[in-house]
Amino acid sequence: MLDIQQHVLDNGLRVVLAPDRTTPVVGVNLWYGVGSRNEPEGRTGFAHIFEHMMFQGSAHVPTNGHFHHIERVGGSANATTWFDRTNYYATVPSHNLDLALWLESDRMGWMLPAMTAEKLENQRQVVMNERRQRYDNQPYGDWDERVQSLLFPGDHPYHHTVIGSMEDIAAATLDDIHDFFATYYLPNNAVLSVCGDCDPDHALDRVRHYFEAIPPGATPPPLPGTTEIPLSTGETVRSDVHAAVPLPRVYMAARVPPFTTEAFYAGEVVSNVIGRGRSSRLYDRLVRSRVAKSASCHILPLTTGATMFLVVATGFPDTRAEELEAAVSGELDAVGDLTEAEVARAVIGSETRTLRALQRLETRADLLSMYATLFNDARRLNEDLSRLRQVTLNEAREWCGAYLHAGNRAVVRYLPDDASRARPAGTAGPGASA
Amino acid sequence: MTGRSAPPTASPIRPFEFPAVAEERLGNGMEVRLVSGVPLPVVTAMVVLRAGETASPAGREGLAVLAGDALEGGTTRLSSRELARALEDIGASFGAATGWDSTTVAVSCLAEHLPDAMPILAEMVRSPAFEDEEFARYRDQRMATAAQRRMDPAALAADAHARFVFAEGGTYARPVGGTEASIGRIDAGDARDFVAGRYGPSEGALVMVGGLDVRAALAVAEAGLGDWHGEVDPVPEPVASPRRRERVVHVVHRAESVQSRIRVGHIGVPRSVEDYFALIVLNLVLGGSFSSRLNLNLRERQGFTYGVRSSFAPRRGPGPFAVSTAVENAVTGAAVGEIFREIEGLVDDGPTRDEVEAATSYLAGVFPLRLETTGQIASRIAGMVVYDLPGDYYRSYRDRVREVTAAHVARAARRHIRPAELCTVVAGNADDVVPQLEGLDIGPVSVHEEALARSAP
Repeated sequence: MLDIQQHVLDNGLRVVLAPDRTTPVVGVNLWYGVGSRNEPEGRTGFAHIFEHMMFQGSAHVPTNGHFHHIERVGGSANATTWFDRTNYYATVPSHNLDLALWLESDRMGWMLPAMTAEKLENQRQVVMNERRQRYDNQPYGDWDERVQSLLFPGDHPYHHTVIGSMEDIAAATLDDIHDFFATYYLPNNAVLSVCGDCDPDHALDRVRHYFEAIPPGATPPPLPGTTEIPLSTGETVRSDVHAAVPLPRVYMAARVPPFTTEAFYAGEVVSNVIGRGRSSRLYDRLVRSRVAKSASCHILPLTTGATMFLVVATGFPDTRAEELEAAVSGELDAVGDLTEAEVARAVIGSETRTLRALQRLETRADLLSMYATLFNDARRLNEDLSRLRQVTLNEAREWCGAYLHAGNRAVVRYLPDDASRARPAGTAGPGASA
Repeated sequence: MTGRSAPPTASPIRPFEFPAVAEERLGNGMEVRLVSGVPLPVVTAMVVLRAGETASPAGREGLAVLAGDALEGGTTRLSSRELARALEDIGASFGAATGWDSTTVAVSCLAEHLPDAMPILAEMVRSPAFEDEEFARYRDQRMATAAQRRMDPAALAADAHARFVFAEGGTYARPVGGTEASIGRIDAGDARDFVAGRYGPSEGALVMVGGLDVRAALAVAEAGLGDWHGEVDPVPEPVASPRRRERVVHVVHRAESVQSRIRVGHIGVPRSVEDYFALIVLNLVLGGSFSSRLNLNLRERQGFTYGVRSSFAPRRGPGPFAVSTAVENAVTGAAVGEIFREIEGLVDDGPTRDEVEAATSYLAGVFPLRLETTGQIASRIAGMVVYDLPGDYYRSYRDRVREVTAAHVARAARRHIRPAELCTVVAGNADDVVPQLEGLDIGPVSVHEEALARSAP
C-alpha cells in the first residue's frame, strides 16, 4: 500500500503526494485534462503539437531549456499526448525537486510570452517527421487511423488519432496555441503528483510556492461531437488494405465499456484470458498451432462513451488472411466458456505486472495522476487490484456475451501486395549495384 | 522567497550506492550473485550464459538466438503448454534474450513464488526438449521476423549498414538473429548440440535480485542448479574488421519511402576499450541525449527529423559506431551533410568544458534512475559477468564518470571516430535522394535494389 496524500490549491490545482524515501529520486508528473478528444474537426493533431511547444521555453526558461536543465542534473523528462489527457513528467535526483517544480510551473503559468511563429514552424516540421516515421513510412503504421475510424462514428472524439492528419498539422497557427493554452492549460484542469524521496509537508510547501500564483480559468468547454454511443457497431464492419507489408495481419476491435465503469474490470480479465502470455487462448491455440506468428489482446484505458478492445494477429508469409481472421473470430466467439483457472491466472498476472511496474517512480507518479484525474481519487491506485480480484466467472462470461459477438466488430486486414510477399532470400551481394 | 527568473538551487544531495551484491557459489562451483532488500516483494532470477551469437557456427547464423527462443518450448519433463501454465499460474513472466555475447533466461515473479519458479527456470536451461515440430515453429517465427526486417526501414538500414561496415564473413556483418537462409538451415539437432556444447555452469552465473531472504534463495538455487555438471568450451573470440577504410555511400532503394532512414558510421570499439568512460561522455555530447549537438541541430534548429541518435555498441569485439535518423526525402542530402559536419567538428575541435560537465553530471545523476527495478539491477549484474567487470565496477561508476575531462573526450574523439572512413547508408527512395548525395564529398554512391540488399548467405 502506498502512502498517498491529496490536496487542492486555491487555484484548483489538485496535488498528490506519495512519499517513499527508499532511493534519493523523486518523480514529478502532471496530467492536463486535454487530449486528442478535445480537438474539433480541422484541428486534429493539435493537442500533440501543443505538447511539443511546451518544450520550446516559457517566460523564464529559454528554448529547449527544459531538457537542458533536467539532463544537466541527471534527470529524465518527457511528455505524451493521448486521447483523454496530456502528461508531462520528470524524474530527478531528489535534491532537485525545486528545479522540476519551477520548470513545470513556469510553462503552466508563463508559456505564451515565449511562443513565436518560428518555433511553431520548427516543431510543425518535427511533428510531420514524427508522423512520417511512425505512420507513413512504417509497415502497418496507419493501423490505428483505420481501426479508429471504423470503430467510432465520424462525430465521436475517438474517430481520429492523436497524431492527426498532415493537412491539419499544416494548418495549426500561433493563434491556436494562444487559444488552446487559455482554454485548457489551467491549474483547475490539471493534477500534479510528486512521488518518491520527499517530505510531504515540505513538498506541498514547494508546490504552493511555485504554483499558487497561477490564476485559474473557466471550466473547459464540453467535448466536440457526440460522446455517448451504443456499445456495439451493429455488425462486423471491415476494410482490407493492400500494402507494402511483409506478412498478413488482422486487427479486430470491439466497442466495450470504458475505463471509468465497473464493467471494465471484467474486460481486463477477459482481455488477459484471450491474449496475454503464453497460456492465453490466442497463444495456446493460434501461435502454438502455427496459424499465427504472433497474437495478442489489449483493452485501452479510454473513458469517453466506450473504449477499444483489440486483438492483433500476424500471420506467416504463407498464411491466408481469411484463415487468420476466421481463427481470431473463432476465439472471440468461443471465449464465453472461459474457466475459473483462466480467470485466476489473468488476475494474478495483472497483479504481478502492476506491482513490478510500480517499482518505477515514473509509472507510479503517472498512475497517481491518472486516478486523480479520472476518478478524482488517487488512492484508487491502492484499491484497484482488489477490484480486479472481485471479478467473478459469471461476470466475465456475461461480459464476453455482451460485447464480443459478431455484431460488434471492426476488422482491418493488411494483405501483402504482390511485390511485398515475402520471397526466399536472394543471394546477390552488395557488389550488385546499379 | 526566491524569484522565478533564475532556476532554483539544489538542496543537499543524498548519497546513493549501487546495491550490495553478495557473491556466492553453488556446490558445482557455479557463480551466484544476489541482491536482497528490494522493498517491493518481487524478484527476478536470471541465468546468464556466455553463449551468444558469436558462438553460432558458420552456416548456422542465428542458432544461439533461436535456441534461446525455443527454451520456452518445453523441457524433457514439461510440454510447452505445461511450462507456460506452471509459471503463469503464479503470475510469473519469463523469457530468454540472446545477443552477440550472451543468452539470459529470466523469471520475474512475486518473491513468495520463487521456490516454484526457480526449478522451472533451471529446467529450461538444463533440459530443453527441442522437440522437432515445436522447434520448427520457433524457426518459422524467426524466419518471418527476418522477412519483416527487410521491409522495416530502420531495420533495413541497420542491417545494410552492418553489412557494408564490417568485412564479409566477420561476426558482426550480419543481423544478430541470422538471415532467412541461415535460419532455414537450422534444425532441432543443431540446437541440442549448441546447448550441450555452450550452456554450462562454468560459463555463466545465476543472478537473483529482489525482496528475498538470501539463505532461502540460495537453497532453491542449489536445489535447481547445484548438481548441474558438464564442462563447456569458452566461446570463440569475435572476428571483426572493417570492410574498407574510405568513405562510401550505399542507397538501399525502397520505392514507397516518404522518408529516408539514414545511418552514418564505421567500426567502433570493444567493451574492454580503455577509455570507455570518455567514450560514453563523447557519445552524449554528439548524439546521445536530447541536448546533444546532433539533436539540437537536426531537430531543433532545422526541423529535419523527429529525432537523431548516435551510439557506440561495444561488444566483446568492436561493434558499430553509428549516427541514425529519419528525415524527409527532400532534405536527405542536407541532413547527411549536417551529420558529417557535426562529427568532423567534434573530432577537430573537441567538446567544450561546459558540454562535458553537463554530460558527466547527467550520467552521475541518472545512475539511480536506471536501477529502480529488479530486472534493471539483474541486467547490470549480468553485464558485469559477461564482460568480466570488476566487483566494484558500479560502486565506483560515478567517480569514474566524474573524472572525465574535456581533454579526455577530445582524445577519445580523435582516437575512435575517423571521419575519413565513414560509411553512409540510406534506406529510401533512390530517385529522390541519389542526386542529393552525389553532391556531397562523402564517397562514391551505389544503389541497391531492396531485393538485392538481402543478406547472404
